Amino acid sequence: MKKIGIINYSLGNVGSVCSAFKFYGYKVNLINMPNELKNSDFLVLAGVGNFLTAVMRLKEFKFWDELNKQVLIKKKPILGICLGMQLFADKSYESKLTKGFGWLNGDVIKISETKKIKIPHIGWNIVMPVNKNSLFKDMRYNSFYFMHSFHFIPKDESIVISNTDYCGINIVSAVKKNNIVGVQFHPEKSQGDGLRLLRNFIEELN
Amino acid sequence: MISKRLIVQFLLKNKRLVKGTAFDGYVDVGDPTSQAMIYDAQGADELIIVDINASSQERIINTQIINEIINKCRLPIAAGGGIKDIRDAKKCFESGADKIVINSQAAINPEFIKILANEFGSQSVVVSVDVKKNKKGNYEVYIFSGSQRIDSKLENYLEKIVKYGAGEIIITSIDKDGVLSGFEYELYSRLKGMLAIPLIASGGAGCYDDMVRLFNESDCDACAIGKMLFLRDYDIVRIKSYLKGKGILVREA
Repeated sequence: MKKIGIINYSLGNVGSVCSAFKFYGYKVNLINMPNELKNSDFLVLAGVGNFLTAVMRLKEFKFWDELNKQVLIKKKPILGICLGMQLFADKSYESKLTKGFGWLNGDVIKISETKKIKIPHIGWNIVMPVNKNSLFKDMRYNSFYFMHSFHFIPKDESIVISNTDYCGINIVSAVKKNNIVGVQFHPEKSQGDGLRLLRNFIEELN
Repeated sequence: MISKRLIVQFLLKNKRLVKGTAFDGYVDVGDPTSQAMIYDAQGADELIIVDINASSQERIINTQIINEIINKCRLPIAAGGGIKDIRDAKKCFESGADKIVINSQAAINPEFIKILANEFGSQSVVVSVDVKKNKKGNYEVYIFSGSQRIDSKLENYLEKIVKYGAGEIIITSIDKDGVLSGFEYELYSRLKGMLAIPLIASGGAGCYDDMVRLFNESDCDACAIGKMLFLRDYDIVRIKSYLKGKGILVREA
């Protein structure tokens, strides 16, 4: 049985992520210590809140270097959810310029400072997969729950696996580069399609 | 495009779900977890759960109930009741809430909104505002479950909330609460184009056309419904299919 490790760095809601994976009977571990990362077959980095706070916590709990090792050297599959995905980027402009993991080239910026639209982007929105990719296999409505004010602008278009339109602004809603997958929405909160996406992540990168 | 949300609004008294009229006369309408599972299965877009006694009893909402719900449901949950510092908020998030709801504290200490937004991000902070229409036809803001009026004008108060970093606002009409006679349409249409963050209308939903009218006359992003689900013969599936038929963008589920 493959083991899924949910990184617990005391930021945001890991309970829902755990319970969603458990739905399919996967073995789920909450990871509180960096040395436990190596025992998992899949990693999940969730989190809500502030980019800078997240980086500080990950470093404070010594997750930073070990995650780099597991993801870049050991090529362990990792799923980043919402802020988790944003942390994979080079840098973010939230609160102040902060460096991320840099696994995916690009920056995290505010959705729009100029256009007159409501921010945060909160609610259920349609995800449009680019080409056919197995992360979105068997979806019924491709509708997922979003809640964010910042979004990731990748430098390399080829890692984008889905886009979402919010009032005329394109949001990159999912990315994939080898063993690294990130989603801007919350699959653990997106009922049927969300559960299917989590299962697809495990099956695809198995 | 983003769809209009149908949010089920739960009020808790002790560990039970209750529903009243104009913030009074509460009756028991069931067990929160089993009810949440029903609306999750029907495809509700979100759940707001607020403990109405928490503030006065100087405690926070029962986080065990939030935890029970998130283990059985897969929809976003906003939780509130008695949250007055970062520790309280943290407890709610740790038990599984995706957002927290504050009401009286936002009026007493607006800085608190900023503190929460900095720590958890604006998208996780919902400010709940209760209003009543006065004799002159103006809307006045009330706190402590509708028992105390505050001085600022509604528009100014809302502006302030947004400025301090709230992620969403839910405005409840006390007069319409539990009356099932339709929303306070005038209020929401007055606010059209005014708010830079999502707005949720609450109080009065009693039939399909109430929601159609609300979404046509305002730019509300969501509406909260309660009694019509608990004590009348409506369900989320039928409401959504009706709204869809009237050209309102709702999420299929």
